[in-house]
Amino acid sequence: MAERKPKIVGFCCERHGMDAAVLSARSGKQTDASVRLVQVPCTGRVDGIHLLKAFEDGADAVFVLGCLEKNCYYDTGSIEGRKRVNYVKQMLTEVGIENERLEMFNAASTNAWAYPEIVSKMVQVAKKLGPIGGGEKQ
Amino acid sequence: MKAKIQVVLCKCCTEVPALLDIEKLRKLASESNNVLSVRTADAMCDGKELAAVVDEAKAKEIDRAVVLACHKKDISPGLLKAYKRARVNEFLVDVVNIREEVVLTHVNEPERAQAKAEAKLKAALARSVLLSPLEKQTEEMKTKNVVIVGAGVSGQAAAHEAAKAGAHTVLLEKTGKSLKVPGVILTHAQLLGASGYGGNFQLRIKAGEKIEELGAAAVVIATGGGWTTLKAPLAKAVKDALPLYKFYEQMQTGVAPRGPVVIVDTPDPSGKTMKVQDYAWDDSLETAIDLKKKSPDIQVYVVFQEMRASGLSELAYKQAADMGVKFVRYDKSGMPKVDPKNPTVLSVRDFAQGEILNLKFGTLVFASIPPNQDNKVIADALRIPMSVDGGIRRGSIQRWPVSTPKPGIFVCGSALFPKSRAVAKEEGAAAGAMAGEFVRRGVIDYGGVVAQVTQEKCSACLTCIRTCPYEAPFIGTASKAEIKIQACQGCGMCVGICPSKAIELHNHTDDQIMEESRVLLGGDF
Repeated sequence: MAERKPKIVGFCCERHGMDAAVLSARSGKQTDASVRLVQVPCTGRVDGIHLLKAFEDGADAVFVLGCLEKNCYYDTGSIEGRKRVNYVKQMLTEVGIENERLEMFNAASTNAWAYPEIVSKMVQVAKKLGPIGGGEKQ
Repeated sequence: MKAKIQVVLCKCCTEVPALLDIEKLRKLASESNNVLSVRTADAMCDGKELAAVVDEAKAKEIDRAVVLACHKKDISPGLLKAYKRARVNEFLVDVVNIREEVVLTHVNEPERAQAKAEAKLKAALARSVLLSPLEKQTEEMKTKNVVIVGAGVSGQAAAHEAAKAGAHTVLLEKTGKSLKVPGVILTHAQLLGASGYGGNFQLRIKAGEKIEELGAAAVVIATGGGWTTLKAPLAKAVKDALPLYKFYEQMQTGVAPRGPVVIVDTPDPSGKTMKVQDYAWDDSLETAIDLKKKSPDIQVYVVFQEMRASGLSELAYKQAADMGVKFVRYDKSGMPKVDPKNPTVLSVRDFAQGEILNLKFGTLVFASIPPNQDNKVIADALRIPMSVDGGIRRGSIQRWPVSTPKPGIFVCGSALFPKSRAVAKEEGAAAGAMAGEFVRRGVIDYGGVVAQVTQEKCSACLTCIRTCPYEAPFIGTASKAEIKIQACQGCGMCVGICPSKAIELHNHTDDQIMEESRVLLGGDF
């Protein structure tokens, strides 16, 4: 049987986050294909329900990628996003899911190196922990 | 009403058709629900092809479009205009980036890339059905006033540039000095308060003894540095210490300084934020060289923590060293100190030798200026954020180096952080030009992707009001939150944080975001 492909969802802000991902692609960097990027206007828009729903729909890991905190396009957006992510991390622990599965990252639009690093880190987490609940259908 | 979607597959780059099976994507699209027309375009941004695409859209009465192409920011604005002609709302044209997100990153895995592209297409179609048409609106600016706070170097430069763009400039000067700049100068004036949003501000100004109301389209903050209110330890110990610019001015008038001269980078070396900005290095080198040229016998020391003599300043560094200027570098382990009882000796630990040096001086000069105390008042009045070291904080540095996060408010010169006169002047000109350009538009564009409150769900908890950096939410007459859409920037921060889920962001609703991630997760790749 072929190796199970992990499923990862990335919520990217359409400013620096998406620009960083696009720039890394243009610099010819190869990343794991299992990442599904969902574009949001700002990481502050990301709600707990989006993250939890992504896990419910079968994601092994979820990450949120926003602007650098001191250089956010919407001023405090990525700070709000991080708060939201930390809150959901706590929730995950409470329901018995490893909170490493959810992570918040920041990148500037010029950081071509950032996105591949994020992806490889999340893929590692997803491969290490496997599907939520050990793989049996819920 | 059933959605009528047009799918356009662009293959203008070489990578996409090389890796993906466009025919398969085309088949998938045409078999999907609600899709009436599928087109492939060799170069979508090309006018002729676009015209053909749009003609079909018109003929089939298409009301929304999904475009599989490259990064949204790279696509010609002609696309939206063309769809507008076909009466497709610009917010219903969804651009899916398959070039960067799928093709370029997965060159070695064509099967996975194909599956991913298909999932992206499916997700975009699912999302497209949920989008709703939006309209942009405009509001006329009531005045052409650009209010410039501070009439120093940067303020004057800003006034000149703003006036060039046709704005009416009003300068607020704290002192009573007379100036030759375009526009009205209010002396002994202070900014007390402000309301409104970019384009239509209402300012409360104290000019002399009178308090006046003044409408303004844009505000430029050019308060400069705060030499007059200096309370740092070194400045306290040495009463007759001078800021660099004053020392330079005195030198130009022919007054020989009492030697030896010590130029220290900052009056507050033990402060939490030790700032050694361009003001410190460029101008202190220039001053030291000038001083040595005028009176070669005077001993000159430059005491600094970090010398950033970049570019051609490197030559000045070398020249100064050749002329006999002594450079002393220190670090946190040996800060420069002056005993208040003997304010003629500066003791500092030389970083290179590790020894404490006692420099006897006649004149102490500070190369860096502390932030202006008025910044606090102005930031409170305009409700804009301040930086940790007491300056005005600017917005995203790469995008708007002379703007605050609030649209319509610009900032320049030493109001940001200490800098040299030449730089302050350039920044002032830039901020003035930005403000002038802002005013010249004459109208404020707003609407589109903005937040909206469902009044029944709102419990008036004020969370959105505290969160929004643009002051768009307010409590309306019905004691419920409302959004001032002229101020809304469409980030959705209030939407994410609202505990009652009473706010939604047009075309970025929870359903749309979750549907997209659900469909994407359904794909097997």
